[in-house]
Amino acid sequence: MDEQQDHQTLLDLVKELVHRLNPSTATTTTQFAQSLKYATRILASRMTPSIAADESAMAESIKRSLVNEGNSSGALAFADLYTKFSSKSGFGTIKNKWAVLYLLKVVAEDRKAAKKSNSRASSGLFASTVCGGLPVVFDEESGGAKKVLDRNRSGSNGVLLVSKDSENFREIAVREYGDLVREESEVSEGVLVRDVLYACQGIDGKYVKFDKNFDGYVLLDSVKVPRAVRVMVRKVCELGWLFMKVRDHVSESMDRFPAEDVGTIGQAFCAALQDELSEYYKLLAVLEAQANNPIPMVSEAGNSGNYLSLRRLAVWFAEPVVKMRLMAVLVDCCKVLRGGAMAGAIHVHAQHGDPLVQEFMRQLLRRVCSPLFEMVRSWVLEGELDDIFGEFFILGQPVKAESLWREGYRLHDGMLPSFISQSLAQRILRTGKSINFLRVCCEDQGWAVAAEEAAAAVGTTTKRYGLGYGETDALEALIAEAAKRIDRHLMDVMYKQYKFKEHCLAIKRYLLLGQGDFVQYLMDIVGPELSEPANTISSFKLAGLLESAIRSSNAQYDDADMLDRLRVKMMPHGTGDRGWDVFSLEYDARVPLNTVFTESVMGRYLRIFNFLWKLRRVEHSLIGAWKTMKPNRITSNFLTKQEGSIKFQFVSTLRRCQVLWVEMNHFVTNLQYYIMFEVLEVSWANFVDEMESARDLDDLLAAHEKYLQSIVEKSLLGERSQTLCKTLFLLFDLILQFRSHADRLYEGVHELQARTAVSALSSQGRTKTRQKQNDESSWGGGGRKALTKLAGEFLQTIGQDLEKISKDYSSSLEGFIAQLPMQQHVDLKFLLFRLDFTEFYSRLRLGK
Amino acid sequence: MLGSWQVLLIQPYNMDPEAARIARESLDLAFHMSNILDTGLDRHTLSILIALCEQGINPEALAALIKELRREPPPKPGVP
Repeated sequence: MDEQQDHQTLLDLVKELVHRLNPSTATTTTQFAQSLKYATRILASRMTPSIAADESAMAESIKRSLVNEGNSSGALAFADLYTKFSSKSGFGTIKNKWAVLYLLKVVAEDRKAAKKSNSRASSGLFASTVCGGLPVVFDEESGGAKKVLDRNRSGSNGVLLVSKDSENFREIAVREYGDLVREESEVSEGVLVRDVLYACQGIDGKYVKFDKNFDGYVLLDSVKVPRAVRVMVRKVCELGWLFMKVRDHVSESMDRFPAEDVGTIGQAFCAALQDELSEYYKLLAVLEAQANNPIPMVSEAGNSGNYLSLRRLAVWFAEPVVKMRLMAVLVDCCKVLRGGAMAGAIHVHAQHGDPLVQEFMRQLLRRVCSPLFEMVRSWVLEGELDDIFGEFFILGQPVKAESLWREGYRLHDGMLPSFISQSLAQRILRTGKSINFLRVCCEDQGWAVAAEEAAAAVGTTTKRYGLGYGETDALEALIAEAAKRIDRHLMDVMYKQYKFKEHCLAIKRYLLLGQGDFVQYLMDIVGPELSEPANTISSFKLAGLLESAIRSSNAQYDDADMLDRLRVKMMPHGTGDRGWDVFSLEYDARVPLNTVFTESVMGRYLRIFNFLWKLRRVEHSLIGAWKTMKPNRITSNFLTKQEGSIKFQFVSTLRRCQVLWVEMNHFVTNLQYYIMFEVLEVSWANFVDEMESARDLDDLLAAHEKYLQSIVEKSLLGERSQTLCKTLFLLFDLILQFRSHADRLYEGVHELQARTAVSALSSQGRTKTRQKQNDESSWGGGGRKALTKLAGEFLQTIGQDLEKISKDYSSSLEGFIAQLPMQQHVDLKFLLFRLDFTEFYSRLRLGK
Repeated sequence: MLGSWQVLLIQPYNMDPEAARIARESLDLAFHMSNILDTGLDRHTLSILIALCEQGINPEALAALIKELRREPPPKPGVP
């Protein structure tokens, strides 16, 4: 009883609605009845909204669309009304508020679309077929044509009487054919049409059922129909099979959604499919309404308008089948894919020549890609990696601040859709990375301003969901703008706030020994300390010495912050290591500069430092040797007093020592010159140039890498010059040995001199103290002889040692010079040229 | 028969003035929203639509119906 009453209320309501919408027709006319029937059919159809029923989300979406239209005051008013509306509760309120909102929205959109274009260019997929309102058009057209025909006939009536008879024949023939058809088929076409319509919704009909073996809908074998009809039914029912496939995928994905990660892009895809399906439902509803009209028999000459035959159905379905087939293909290829990979796979199918397919795919992709583009947008402008399902083509991983730039984020090639090129993806990656770098490492807030500027420069596309598929230009423009501004800002922060250039210079001055007075002073004061065994040296003391070296050189005027970072580092040492072997300087780069000066980079700096330090030490000790050799007068004075063979031996030893020193000094000075001017300064100048032209942090990193690499290569520390480097260190060792021998020689000379002075003094004193004369003269005479002998022996051993060193040295040097031209680096040619300027060595080699 | 929306919305036999007031206010609000959205629906039609929604009719189908009926006169019965 109650149900019946409900039904009656419903019917009344629908009647009233139809009347209100078409006030011109009286409620009694057949036309009204027709409309009513039509209305009930549509209302009873299986159309469902493609979105979940969420009231506040719906209100939100209406508001947003109002804002997008530029009607912000309307949006505000709407929000106000909505809050009032939703707060109503209790008896007498509207219970299904969501439905009302949804209805309002759809009606408004439909109206707008209708206003915009009365033609077929409507937004929906099936809209083009539904909009056409084919039934009505048919009606008028055929009616008109008929009238024309009638007129023609009546005009020719009097002239061709015979034709009437022939027409009769034709009518008879047609009637006979109709009978024949009726006999042949058990089932009327109308029933079949109805079944096919069911099949197209995935429901088994009375005669048309799903056949598992055949994998499709077929007409039952038991039904007797002409072959042509059977084939036609099978063809049309392809749509049903495709529809089931798409529908199953959508419902499966939706069911899976909360538990498994279908992902936002997968959801967007399902929503797009669902929308297309609901358009399809609309079409079906219209068609079902038409299917109720009886199909006129062939014999009935009259045209009954909008009836539905199998053939008509086939025509109606021509377009939907194409689309449904596409959707089925997409469903197939996207089943296992997620995220960007899915978008890429769909994009591949969009490359199609048919404008219909193209348009369809474009619309679908717009919706599918909208989460993806939203991710790109928030990544590029806000640095947010908003990707809980792992769908984006950029992967982030938690790392320490110093490796954030290098390892924090990377591209995920599998998720990179093919419509975003590799280079663009790299730029996208870098822009977001820059923002994150600024935020995490530089603790800088200014990037937000830069991002806003970029957004303002590009314009409308930066709103949420403003970007869409197919607008590659807009995307590129956005990326380019954002990248440009953010990179510029990052560079600014690096140069101005974090003084990157100044730090590089400080490293060059202290680690690469560019600050001469500082190095000289440091060498002077830590020298004695470093000659001790490594395990007895206190690094605190060295730190104190470093401090005083800074104080007493020009380095004291440097920025305190930079001097602060300079430290002494003792490398791990083994037994027998001297202080020289373990001492090194270290520069503490700190965040964010340690992105450039990473541990491996600092390791290479350390190698360079050790090399340069050794070179300096050798040079320093050679200078020390020169200092002891310098007081020539004393020795020459002493020499002239000696006699005979001793004098000759003396002179020759000293000469050998001098010659060897000069030779070594020539080598070390030139090497030093080469390292300082050809290597360090040239590399530095190049680096400064590149630093100034660097547009982003990657450029800067590359420039710095190049700088360091060129220093390592040119100062013989590279892989290829290992043997050469070994020879060089051998030469250094020989020079240090020479230094100790030379020191011994001059110590000996000084000692001898002192002894001679004592004996001379005693011989002078002989005249004064006569008593002691005998004793003293005997001592003196014996002393002189012993002294001469001692000197002879001493000079001989020293001479032998020097001889040995000289031999070793010249053979090593020869080896070194012979190896030099084999090096690949062109700058080493200059070193060779300098060392062998007078062609002394090459001639020596030829002479052998 | 279908004079007021309240009658449609609530079973006529258990009408009370408070419920009627709330219902009228709700309709007012909905009508305002409808105007902002420029749906072109008049107040009475809207009340019918709301009542239909309350009866559990699918809004999608309703919207489709409005669209179809508005665009063109409903299909005429075939000319014999």
